[in-house]
Amino acid sequence: MDPEVVDTLGPLRFAVPGGSLTAGVLAVVFAALVLWEHRRLRAVRWTVLRGGTAALAFLLTAQPRWSAQRLERVQGRVAVLVDASRSMAIEHPSRAQHVQHLLERWDGEAEGVPLWRFGSELQTVPWGPDASRPRDDESRLAAALEELARGGEAEGLGAVVVVSDGAANDLDGPIDVGELRVHAVRVGREDLRDDSLVEVHADRVAFLRQPAKVRVVVRSWGGGGIDVPVTLREDNEVVTEARVQVPDGGEGVVELPFTPRRLGRAVYHVSIPRADDDAVPANNERAFLVRVGRDRLRVLLVAGAPSWDVRFLRAFLKQDPSIDLISFFILRTGSDMPMAEPEELALIPFPTDELFREHLGSFDVVIFQNFDYGPYQMAGYLPRIRDYVKRGGAFAMVGGDRSFGSGGYASTPLEEVLPVELPSASTPAARLVLTDRFRPRPVAELARHPLLALANDPAASVARWASLPPLDGANVVRRARPGATTLMVHPRRRGGRSLPLLVLGTAGQGRVLALMSDSSWRWGFTAGGLTGDASAFERFWDRALRWLARDPNLEPARVTTDRERYGPEARVELRALLRDASYRPYAAEPVRFVLVDAVGEELAAADVVTDAEGRAQAVLRGPAQEGAYRAAVHRGDTRLCEEHFLVERGGQELADPRSQPDRLRRLAESTGGRYVDAPEDAPSLDAFDASVTRRRSLDEVAPFAHPAFVAFAALVFSLEWWLRRRAGLR
Amino acid sequence: MRPVRTALLVLGSCCLLAAVVGPVRALGEASRVELRAVAVADFEEPRPTARRRLAWEVRQRTSIDTRLQPGRSRLDDPAVFESPLLYWAGDRAFPPLSNGELVGLRRFIDFGGMLLVDDAAPDDDGFDRSIRRALRRALGAGSLRPIPRDHTLYRSFYLLDRPVGRVQGPPHLEGVERGGRMAVVYSRHDLGGAWARDNLGTWQHAVVPGGERQRELAIRLGVNLVMYALCLDYKDDQVHAPFIMRRRGGSP
Repeated sequence: MDPEVVDTLGPLRFAVPGGSLTAGVLAVVFAALVLWEHRRLRAVRWTVLRGGTAALAFLLTAQPRWSAQRLERVQGRVAVLVDASRSMAIEHPSRAQHVQHLLERWDGEAEGVPLWRFGSELQTVPWGPDASRPRDDESRLAAALEELARGGEAEGLGAVVVVSDGAANDLDGPIDVGELRVHAVRVGREDLRDDSLVEVHADRVAFLRQPAKVRVVVRSWGGGGIDVPVTLREDNEVVTEARVQVPDGGEGVVELPFTPRRLGRAVYHVSIPRADDDAVPANNERAFLVRVGRDRLRVLLVAGAPSWDVRFLRAFLKQDPSIDLISFFILRTGSDMPMAEPEELALIPFPTDELFREHLGSFDVVIFQNFDYGPYQMAGYLPRIRDYVKRGGAFAMVGGDRSFGSGGYASTPLEEVLPVELPSASTPAARLVLTDRFRPRPVAELARHPLLALANDPAASVARWASLPPLDGANVVRRARPGATTLMVHPRRRGGRSLPLLVLGTAGQGRVLALMSDSSWRWGFTAGGLTGDASAFERFWDRALRWLARDPNLEPARVTTDRERYGPEARVELRALLRDASYRPYAAEPVRFVLVDAVGEELAAADVVTDAEGRAQAVLRGPAQEGAYRAAVHRGDTRLCEEHFLVERGGQELADPRSQPDRLRRLAESTGGRYVDAPEDAPSLDAFDASVTRRRSLDEVAPFAHPAFVAFAALVFSLEWWLRRRAGLR
Repeated sequence: MRPVRTALLVLGSCCLLAAVVGPVRALGEASRVELRAVAVADFEEPRPTARRRLAWEVRQRTSIDTRLQPGRSRLDDPAVFESPLLYWAGDRAFPPLSNGELVGLRRFIDFGGMLLVDDAAPDDDGFDRSIRRALRRALGAGSLRPIPRDHTLYRSFYLLDRPVGRVQGPPHLEGVERGGRMAVVYSRHDLGGAWARDNLGTWQHAVVPGGERQRELAIRLGVNLVMYALCLDYKDDQVHAPFIMRRRGGSP
C-alpha cells in the first residue's frame, strides 16, 4: 500500500538579521516614506508608483521566505508494555493474571511484536507465562515510555500498547514520548475495599531521650469510613496508640509521639487493624528506620592553665550550637599565691570524681589541653579514661608545657591509647619540648584527609598550610605508634626521623588525636589579622571534632542505598565511596557489595571494581522477606562500610493500589492513542493504530532572492527615477 | 562559706602536689601570655612599668604563664596580631588614627582580640575624647557602653564589687561587646598607675583615697581582666555546671 502523502508549508520567516522585528521596522519605514510622498505631491499616480517601489525595496531587504515540506504517513510497528509492579499482584484473580490472559490471546498474532515490562526499570521479555510476573517495587510508567521513545527500539515504532492498572508513581507529571502513540488497556478495579497507610513520615535522625513524632496518613475506600487505632511498635512492644477517623474515600492524619531510648538504629512499625474484606492487607502496616544519636556532641575540655590556645578552642566549641561543652580550667596551682582569702576568690574545686568516674561515659569527646594529671590526684582515673576510649570514646591531647611527656604521661595507662610513643619518664624536662618558632609540614600524600583538607585540591591544601603563620614550640614525642596516621610533622628531624606534630590513631573501638602544639590559635586569630582569613583554625577543629566523634559524613568509606525502605525483591541501588583510614582512595580495586540480614547471612552480592577515586556502584535484588537489613561493602575479608535499610511487605508501591483509569485515559488521549477500559475489551494488536508521520522532503522557498526578481526590482526603480525626472520631480 | 573554704583546702592540697612534681616550662617565650601595648604616634607610655608588674602579679597569683617583658606595637603593625590582648594607656589627647590603624584595630577585634583601654589621666578629658573618637571610627557609634556589675569579669578570678585603680573613679567600666564577649574594656581609673612599680620595688604612684587596699583591688581587677581575656565567660559555665551535669545523666 502506498503511503499517504501530504504537502505543507512551513511558517513565514525573514532572512534579515533580527528576523521579524527588523522586518516590521522596515515595513513601517517604507510605509512612512510612501505616506510622506503622498502628502507632499497629493497625486495618486505618484503615490502608487512610490508604493510599488517601496514594496519591492521591502521584499529585497527583508527577504521573506518559507519552507515547503512533504509528509508521508506510514504504518509503524506496535509494541506491548506490561506493568510488572507489585500492585498488579492484588485482587482475585489478580491483575497480573488478567494481563497474562490478554498476552496469551495476543500471542498468536504477536509475530515480531516486541514485549517489554516496566516497574522500576524497562526490560524486554519474551512472550510467555512469566512475562507479567509482578515483583517490582515501583511503577515508573512515564520513565519507561520516555526511555522507549528515546532508545534504539523506537526505530520504526509507531505505537505502544500499555497494559497496566495506572497506579504509577510518575504519571502525574509531564511526559515526553515524541511522536510515539500510546494506547492503554486498563486492568484492575477502582472500587477496592481497602484501608491503607499511605504515608508514614518521620525524621531519619532522632535524638536519645528527646521526643520525636511520626506523621501517619490513613486512607480508606469502600468501607463507609473507619474509626481505627493506629499503633506504633518497637520490637513488638506498643510504644503508643492513637485513634483516627477516616471518611470513606478520604484521609485521616495522626501524629504519634515516641522517645528513642537507645543509641543506634531503631526500627519502628506502624499498623492499623485489618478488616475482613480488606483487599490489600499488606498496606495496613508500614515500618520506618530512625538513626538515634545524641542531640548534641558532648565535649569535655580540661585545661591545665588558661592560654590563648585554650581560649580560642573553648570559644570555638562554645559557639557551635551542636556542641554541649563542659570545660574545666585550672586557674591556680599550688605554687601560685593569690594574696586573698578563699572567700575572695571565685574558684571551685576540680570535680575529678564527678567528671572521670560518674560522667565520663556520657561524653563523646574528652580533650586534655595542656593538662597534667599529677597535681589533682588523678592517677587513679587514667585507667578509666583508657577504658573509656577503648570502649568507643574519643580522646584528644593538645600540647603545652603540661602535656605528653611534660605532663608525666609516659608509662601511664593513658599513654597506652595515645597514638604516639612518649619519651621515657626519666627524660630531662628540657628535652621534652622544642621552644623555637616553626612552620608545621602537612604530609603531602595525606592532604585529602579531612583534617588537612583546607581546600578541595590536595596541592592547594598543602600550599594553604604553608601560608599560615608559624607555631610556637612543640612537645617532643618519640614516634607515632604503628598503625597511627601522622598528618603533620615538625620541620626539625631527630634521629633521622621527622618529629610528629599531629597524629591520629585508634585504641580499641575509640579514636585518639594527638596535637603536639599549643598555638593552633595562630591559624585563626593571627592568620585572620594578617590575611583576613581566619577559617583554617575553625575548619581544622571542626573536622577534628567530627573525626573523633565518628561523624558519618566524615567516614573514609561510605555506602548509600537509593532508598531507605523497599518492598520485597526490590531493586536496590548501591553507591560507595571507598577510602582507607588515611582517606586515600581504594583505586581500581575489586570490592564486593553484599546484602545481609540481621544475623549476617549474605542474601545477594555483586563483585565490582572501584574507579580512580574509589567510587563503585552496584544494583542488587533486595530480600524477599520483610525486616531490617544491611548493605555492606567488603574489600577482601574486611568490611569497609555498611548502611541499613528496611523491607516492607506493603511499602509505597501498595500505599494506593487502586486502578487509575483517568491517568491512563489522559496518557492515551495526549498521544493520540486509544484507551480500553478492560482487558477483555481489548481488540487484536493490529487494530491499534501504529501509523507514524515522517517528513519525506523539506525545501526552502526564497523567491525574493532570485536574480530575476532583483533585476525586475532594479528595472522598476530605474523607471520610477526616469518618470520623476521627466515630470520635474526630485 | 565553710564548704568553699573546705573545697579550696582540697584544691590547695592538690596544688602542693603540683609543686612537688616540679616546675614546668612554657613552649617558648612566644607561647606565654603577653600584655602587648598599643603605640600611638610618638607618645610614651604613661606608666611604662605597669604592664610588666601586672604580668608578674598574674604569674605569681594564677596558673597563667605570662611574658614579663611584653612588647609594644602600632595598630597598623602586623605584630599586633602576635597577642590577642592589647593594653592601650594614655594620659593626653592623641591625633586621629590613620586608616591603617583603624583597619588593624577593627581586624584585631573582629578576629577575637581583646583591648584594655586605661585612661591614666581621668581628671582630664583629652585621652577620653580621643579614645572615644578612635573607637567610634573603628567599631561604630554607640558601641561603648557601661559594663554591668554582674559581668563575668568581676568574678573571673577574684570576687570584685567595682572597679578601682589609682583613683576610685566611676563605679563602672565601659566596654564594647562583640559576639557575646567583651572585646573592649575601658577604664577611667588609671589602673596602670596603681600597678606601676619601679625596679627597686617601690610603688610609683599613691593610690587615693583607699591606699594600699585600693591598690590591691586594682591589681585584682587587672588579674581578672587578663583572666577574662583568656577564659571569657568560663565562670558562667562553672556556675551552671552542676545543673548541666545533673540534667545530662545517661551512659555511653
